[in-house]
Amino acid sequence: MRKFTKEDLAQYNGRNGASAFIAYRGTVYDLSDSFHWRSGVHQVLHNAGEDMTDSIYQAPHGEDLLKKFIVVGKFI
Amino acid sequence: MAKVAREMVERAGVNVNQLVELLVKNAAAELTTFYYYTILRLNLIGLEGEGIKEIAEAARIEDRNHFEALVPRIYELGGKLPEDMKAFHDISACPPAKLPADPTDIKAMLTVLVEAERCAVRGYTHICNLTAGKDHRTYDLSLSILQEEIEHESWFSEFLGEGPSGHFMRKGETSPFVSKYLR
Ligand code: HEM
Ligand SMILES: [Fe+2]
Ligand SMILES: [Fe+2]
Repeated sequence: MRKFTKEDLAQYNGRNGASAFIAYRGTVYDLSDSFHWRSGVHQVLHNAGEDMTDSIYQAPHGEDLLKKFIVVGKFI
Repeated sequence: MAKVAREMVERAGVNVNQLVELLVKNAAAELTTFYYYTILRLNLIGLEGEGIKEIAEAARIEDRNHFEALVPRIYELGGKLPEDMKAFHDISACPPAKLPADPTDIKAMLTVLVEAERCAVRGYTHICNLTAGKDHRTYDLSLSILQEEIEHESWFSEFLGEGPSGHFMRKGETSPFVSKYLR
């Protein structure tokens, strides 16, 4: 499985046609097809291309919403 | 813009530009839902569909009321609606509640409805969290909307047989919580 550093992940910020990847607890997910992550922005506050592990506590939902998305690698 | 009203919210430590953007996106979700629910309601026919038509209609009208109630707050805080309605549609906080391929599939219809309500419940919970104890007016408005969204979720969830929630269909006037913002 592909390994992503912070810099690698930052390339996939969902902007200008880039894919929208996020890291969560060491796993990288592809959210490009999600309505809620259009252009790599989620709910005005969160950006793709970043590690979201410490942001989930602010969310009005749990990590289960990530389940349906494809895992593309590990975040190291 | 209500200058001092905005200043009070800023001083309480709220990022007002972010908050306004969220309010605009949720206003867009309300108006687009009003539109898509019109099509859903029209298609709720037959033995099963007719039973759901009335609550779908109540949820539809209340979502339009939510749109109307949000707009003045957006402008008070110095925000505005996009001039282009297509742009407004596209920034919606929730996905379009599109008619399922088979509108006679009642379970599919109810799933579209309940998911739209769940998105709204999450969205207004978040706005309440952001504004609690800081922006009293937006908090009260979002809480009033949230009260109605939770009832909408409960109605459709009960029809899906997910379990009882103690709610009954809307009796009396629509928007018992939000109506004070519509007068
Ligand atoms: C303040 C923080 C957040 C807010 C207000 C927020 C809000 C929301 C809302 C309202 C939805 C729609 C749910 C529905 O339709 O019922 C959603 C979906 C989602 N959120 Fe968040 N969220 C936040 C943080 C996060 C974080 C940190 C992550 C990642 C770890 C995340 C990942 C997701 C995913 C994957 C979905 C589902 C997308 C889809 O099904 O297309 N969210 N979020
Ligand atoms: Fe609504
Ligand atoms: Fe609703």
